[in-house]
Amino acid sequence: MIDKRIYEMFREIGEDLYTAQMISSHGGNLSIRLGDRVIIKRRGAQLGRLKPHDLIETRLDKNDSGVALASTELLVHRTIYLNTPALAICHCHPRTAVAFSLSRDEIVPIDNEASYLLKKIPIITEEFASGTPQMANKVAEALMNYKVIMLRGHGTFATGQTLDEAFFWSSTVEEAAQIMLYTKQINEPFIEYRGMSDSYTKF
Amino acid sequence: MNGWSGKILDIDLSTKTYKTYPLDMEMARMFIGGRGLGARLLWDLVGPEVDPLSPENVLIFTNGPLTGTGYQTSNRFSVTTKSPLTGTVLDANSGGFWGMQFKKTGYDALIVRGKSEQPVWIEIKNGEITFHDASDLWGMRVFAVTEKLGQNNNKRNVLCIGPAGENLSRIAAIMNDRERAAARGGPGAVMGSKNLKAIVVEGKERATINDPEKFKFLLYETKKLLAASPLTSQALPEFGTVVLMNIMNNIGALATRNHQQTQFEGAEAISGEELTEKYLVKNASCWACPIGCTRISKTEKVEGEGPEFESTWAFGAQCGIDDLPAIIEVNALCNDLGLDTISAGSTIACAMELSEKGYLDSDLRFGRADQLAPTVEAMAYRKDIGAELADGSLRLATKYGHAELSMSAKGMEMPAYDPRGLQGQGLLYATSNRGGCHMRGNMIGLEVLGLPKLVDRFQVQGKSAFVILNQNSNAAIDSLVICKFTNMGVADEYFARVLGAVTGVQYATGELIKTGERVWNLERLYNNREGFTTEHDTLPPRLLNEAPTDGPSKGWVSQLEPMLKEYYRTRGWDQNGVPTPKKLADLGLANLM
Amino acid sequence: MALIKLFANLRKLAGTKELSVTEETVGATLSALVEQYPSIKDVILDGSELRPHIVITVNGHNVTDLNASVNEQDVVAIFPPIAGG
Repeated sequence: MIDKRIYEMFREIGEDLYTAQMISSHGGNLSIRLGDRVIIKRRGAQLGRLKPHDLIETRLDKNDSGVALASTELLVHRTIYLNTPALAICHCHPRTAVAFSLSRDEIVPIDNEASYLLKKIPIITEEFASGTPQMANKVAEALMNYKVIMLRGHGTFATGQTLDEAFFWSSTVEEAAQIMLYTKQINEPFIEYRGMSDSYTKF
Repeated sequence: MNGWSGKILDIDLSTKTYKTYPLDMEMARMFIGGRGLGARLLWDLVGPEVDPLSPENVLIFTNGPLTGTGYQTSNRFSVTTKSPLTGTVLDANSGGFWGMQFKKTGYDALIVRGKSEQPVWIEIKNGEITFHDASDLWGMRVFAVTEKLGQNNNKRNVLCIGPAGENLSRIAAIMNDRERAAARGGPGAVMGSKNLKAIVVEGKERATINDPEKFKFLLYETKKLLAASPLTSQALPEFGTVVLMNIMNNIGALATRNHQQTQFEGAEAISGEELTEKYLVKNASCWACPIGCTRISKTEKVEGEGPEFESTWAFGAQCGIDDLPAIIEVNALCNDLGLDTISAGSTIACAMELSEKGYLDSDLRFGRADQLAPTVEAMAYRKDIGAELADGSLRLATKYGHAELSMSAKGMEMPAYDPRGLQGQGLLYATSNRGGCHMRGNMIGLEVLGLPKLVDRFQVQGKSAFVILNQNSNAAIDSLVICKFTNMGVADEYFARVLGAVTGVQYATGELIKTGERVWNLERLYNNREGFTTEHDTLPPRLLNEAPTDGPSKGWVSQLEPMLKEYYRTRGWDQNGVPTPKKLADLGLANLM
Repeated sequence: MALIKLFANLRKLAGTKELSVTEETVGATLSALVEQYPSIKDVILDGSELRPHIVITVNGHNVTDLNASVNEQDVVAIFPPIAGG
C-alpha cells in the first residue's frame, strides 16, 4: 500500500501538469525513487486524475509482480535512476517548448527565472519509442549533466531530489518557451539585461 | 596541466629527508583531490597492521584542483590519516587560509611519514623544504606558536598542534590560522606522535585555469546565486551556525544531557539570537568566501573566532549548561589547546552522566559551567580526571563498565542532531565512514529546513536514497575541495562545470557525484580491510531503545534496522554491507581488491 | 490562547520574541501576526502565500498547510531561512 502522502503528491502534480497544458489526457509520467524501489504511474492512467490504484511500486533493478501494470516508460525511468543521482523524474510534453525544439539544438531562455535556474536546455533526438534501451540510455546520458532535457518533438525529462523539484524545472521550461514565443510575436529589439548571458550556451 | 599542481611532496621525519614525484593523473581524474585523493593514497600507504599513533601511520595533507583559484570558498584542505580515535579512515577538513597557501607551494599533496627523534617543525617556502628544531616550541599553545612562527594573513600560514596533540589525546585537533580546526577523529594526536609541532607554508605558484572565460562566467553566476540565497546572504552571515539551536530544540531533536532528552530548557540562553545580541563583535570569512559565517565573539575574558553551533551544543545542551559566556570561553580554550570541541564536550557529558550514576568517581555534574574550562585543560595535559577523558567517551565509558553511555558511532562522538528526531540523520551517523559525524551528508536540509523540500523526518522507507545522495555529493565536494555552505546556494552542476573550466577535464554533474560515490566506497573498503563489519554500523542503545518521553519526538526511537537494510541494497552492497564486485567494477575500484 | 514564537531576524524586525493569539488556523495566526507587526509581513508572506524557506512548526512539527488548525496551548514557531553545520 503506497503511503497516502506520496499519492497526494503525485495527484497534485499530475493535476497541475494537465491544467498547465503540459500533457495530454494520458501522456507524460511521474516517478520517484524510494531506496531501491520505484513508484510510477500505472499504464494507461491519466496523470490529471490519478487514483490511488494508479500508482505502482516495483523494484528498481529487475522485474517483480508490479511491473506488469507499470507504465511502458518504466525502462527509461529505471535507467535514469540506475545511472544518475536522480531521486524523482517528471516527464511531460510542454507544448510551446516542444514546438521550439523542432528548429534548434538547444533552448536558451531569455526570461530571468529560467536563465537563472537552467541556463540552457539541450535538445536530443531519439525517434525510438519510450520502451527501448536506445532511448533510455540516450536520455539518461543527457540527464547526467542537465536537470532537464528535451527530446526533439516529444517532450522534457526533468530530475530532482523530489517530485516537486522535477516538476519545477519542467514548468520553468514551458514558461521560458512561452515567453520566447511572445517575444517573437512582439517582434521588437531585445534589450539585454543579464550579465555574461552569451555564456549560457556554454553551460 | 591546469588546476592540479601535478606534484606530491613526500617527507620522512625519521630521516629528515624528502622527495617529490609526479601526481598520477589517472588517480587524479578518478579521485580529484582533497578527501578523495587522500583516501586513495592512504589505501596504499597504511594497512590494518599499523597503529595510528605509530611512525608507520601517515598524515596526508591535500588540496584540490579548485583550491586557490579564487572560486568562492576555494580555501579548504583535507588531512587524511588512520584515526587514533576510531581506527577508521579519517579525513578532517578545515578552512581559513592555510589550504590556499599550501596550494601556492606547488603541491597537490604532502605526505608525512615516520617520526622525528626530536620535536620538529617544517617550513615549505618558495620551493625550499626546511626542518627546524621545535624543542623550544614544544609545550606552547596554539595561539602563541602560530604568532611565533610568523602567521601573516594570506602571505604566510601556520598549521600546528597544541598541548593536546603533543600529549596524544585521541580527540586532539590540528589547528591552522590560529582558530581553524581539522579536528574530528583526533588527527592532532597523529601529528604529536610524530613529534611534528607545525607546518608553515609560504608560496608563490599561481593557480592555472584552462578556460578563463568560462571560469569567469561561473564565478559571476555563483556570486549571483550566493547573493540570492537567503541562507548564504543573510542567515549565515548574521547569525552564524548557532542559529540552529532554537530550531533543533523546537522540533525536539536537540540532544541534551548526553542524549537523555531531546529538548533543552536552556536552549534560548545559548542560541544564535542570544550570541548575536550580546556577544558578537562581527562576522568574518575564510579566503575567497563571500558568505562570512565565522563569528568573532567577545566575553569579559576572551575575544576570538567562534563558537559554532556544534561547539555551543557540545558544551551547552549536551552538558546541561546554559551559560553562554562560559561556552564561548571554553571554545576559545579548545582552540588554544588544540582539542576537538564536539568530542571534548560530549566526552565531558558522558563523564557527567557516569559520575551522577556513581560509575565514575568525580565531581563532574550536568549544569556545572564552572567545570568546563578546568576539565578541558586537564584533558589536554592528561592530568587528574583529564587523563580519563583525553581519549574520548567510548574509552572512558568502557573502562567504567558502561560503554553504552558513550554517545558515539564507531567511537566518534555524535553531534547535536538527535536521531530520534531525524530518522535520516541516524542512518547517516551509523554508516558514516569516519564515525558519528554530520558533515558526511547532513540531512537537516531535507528533514528540517525544507531544502530543497521538506521530507518527513519520521519517514523511514526511501530515506536511504536521500542519505546516499548527500553522502556522495559531500564526498565529491570534499574532494574539490570547497566549503559545503556554498552548496546551500549553488547546485552540484556548477561545481562540475567549474572543475571542467579549471582543469580542462570535463565532468558531467552525475560523474562528479559518482566520483563522490567512488570515494565513499573506497573509504568503506578501507574500513572493511581494518575489520569493520555491519556490526559497527550502529548507534548507542539509548537511541535504538529509549524513546523521549516528551516533546515533538516523543515515543520515537531510531528505526535503524530497516533503513540500514535498504541502505545496503540501494548502495549496491551485499547484506553485510560489503561493496559487491559488480559495484566495485562499475566504480573502477575492482583493481584494488 | 496559542503562542507564536519568532526566531532569528524575525525578532528584530517585529521587535518581539513572542505573542499570544486566539486564532484557530495557521493562516489566521499569520494574518494576526503581520497585522500587529507589519514590518515582518514581506519577509514571511508573498501576498497571501507563505514565502519559500520560511519554516513554520506547530508544537515542533512542520506545517505547510495554512489551513492547519491551531489549538489552545499550541506553540507556533516561525523561522526565516536558516542554515548551519
